[in-house]
Amino acid sequence: MGGIYWLASYPKSGNTWFRAYLKNLINDGDRPVDINDLNTGGIASSRCWLDEVLGFDTAELAPEEIEQLRPDVYRWFLRDEVISYYKIHDAYTLTARGEPIVSREATLGALYILRNPLDVALSAANHWHLDVDETIERMGDVRTTLARGRSGLPDQVSQKILTWSQHVSSWVDAPGLNVKVIRYEDMLSSSLSIFTEATRFLQLPDAFGQIEKALRFSDFRELSRQELEKGFKERPLGARQFFRQGRSGGWRGGLTPQQIARVIADHGEVMRRFGYLDLSGNPV
Amino acid sequence: MFYTAYGLTIQSQLDLPELERSFPTVAPDVTVRLGTVGAGGLPGGRQLGPYLWVGQNTFWLQVPGVARFLVQSGTSIWCDPEVGVDEDSVRVFLLGSSFGALLLQRGHLVLHGNAIRIGDACMLCVGPSGAGKSTLAAGFLQRGYEILADDIVPVDAQCRALPGFPRIKLWRDMADQLNIDTGDLRRIRPNTEKFNYPLPPASPHPLPIRWVYILGSDQNDTLRLEPIQGMHRFQPLHGNIYRVRFLHGTALKAEHLQLCGQLAGKIRLARVTRPRTGFSLVQMINRILADIAEHP
Repeated sequence: MGGIYWLASYPKSGNTWFRAYLKNLINDGDRPVDINDLNTGGIASSRCWLDEVLGFDTAELAPEEIEQLRPDVYRWFLRDEVISYYKIHDAYTLTARGEPIVSREATLGALYILRNPLDVALSAANHWHLDVDETIERMGDVRTTLARGRSGLPDQVSQKILTWSQHVSSWVDAPGLNVKVIRYEDMLSSSLSIFTEATRFLQLPDAFGQIEKALRFSDFRELSRQELEKGFKERPLGARQFFRQGRSGGWRGGLTPQQIARVIADHGEVMRRFGYLDLSGNPV
Repeated sequence: MFYTAYGLTIQSQLDLPELERSFPTVAPDVTVRLGTVGAGGLPGGRQLGPYLWVGQNTFWLQVPGVARFLVQSGTSIWCDPEVGVDEDSVRVFLLGSSFGALLLQRGHLVLHGNAIRIGDACMLCVGPSGAGKSTLAAGFLQRGYEILADDIVPVDAQCRALPGFPRIKLWRDMADQLNIDTGDLRRIRPNTEKFNYPLPPASPHPLPIRWVYILGSDQNDTLRLEPIQGMHRFQPLHGNIYRVRFLHGTALKAEHLQLCGQLAGKIRLARVTRPRTGFSLVQMINRILADIAEHP
């Protein structure tokens, strides 16, 4: 049966790293895949994709109108009877008709990639070209929308990402959704076992050699080396480098105690649930 | 009401204020009529998308919440608006996808871009939505160049661009950059920040296409212009056919490919890649004009 596995995450949580792994796994070549050719299927919010399937310009539609049509576009792919993997940063929300924007029928499952919001704040500040306080503000704002495009026309349609906590719960607690959660921190510390689990979840070949090679070819040093050598097309404006540090715990030196407290105040409950706070409420 | 666009006389039951008016004729090339267009697609046709069907010489499109359109044999468009929808909204998709399909049915190669007059010839800027085509057209307009067609450029069998209708679609920020007061302009649709900017009527004659620039953007800090040579020219041009999906399963496909190949052999073709922001429109226009001067 065909359908879509969503590679879902809040921005800057390891989605691109996972896609680099996936592309290398599927490619199974003898050298790393070019980081500028990571398309496993593109991003759910791609305007070109929506326009082509719909046959008319989403540029002429209001965001609510586009939202209503998105499930239809994804459902259309069921006809191909293939399994596809699409990146998505939207929160799992419902259209005005009460249908999940990703379409229930089109969705085989979602691999949800989760990262400590303290580290997300630092990484997203670099990515969004905002200061850390503004970034934390945005992560706590339910109105946060990507590619809102009040002026001009972005190449993606707008995406509601809600607050960081709501983003996580929207996917993880979505009723009836086949979802597997992996943490960025575990992807780093227990790469082989986490990537193997994720690979099986996505119904992909799980031969040890193949996974091990794909991991090597998508290793942070390799991604960063390629970016330095030839640039990375997904690097946002104003950000110096996309593959910045590739580690966890950067918040320890990078955030002030006030910033840490603010993130915990905003997201403590979800942080605790996923092991980012200890029993006494301190970040780990 | 009678209008003219793309070298065609159009008789329309729907007001089309964007188009130039024309004298009445008993034998218009195209008729646009209001009437019932059956729901649920084209019986016997092929479904190409959730809201899109084609048959031999027939094209069916639904824009949910707006209208259904039936385009036949390159000569007729039936339009069935949903209850309560405003005319502006209907017109956007009539003049967009529906006219695009009609021009395909008439055997034209239809490209997604703008045509700008350069002397006795013209230059096309093509690219996906969001590539900056409208901004560039607006920039050329400000320099006094004539815009032949905006968004949809039909190319005839002699590789000439047919003039469309005298308007460009301007986003508010572009209008601000060009010091155009949007207060006097009609919104493309209610509740959008996109405006209809009327232009002086362009030359009514088709003009030979001499240059095609494929617009794109990336994360680099500099503007690049890279010529595309030899056999590599077909694919990028083909990639910028307006709604290429419309051709699937129709007899028009072969004709279209042939025209595309012919055009590829006749033009100066280059890719113009700008930084994603912080680029200078003036610099971009100068770079294109310099390339045109070097390759007359």
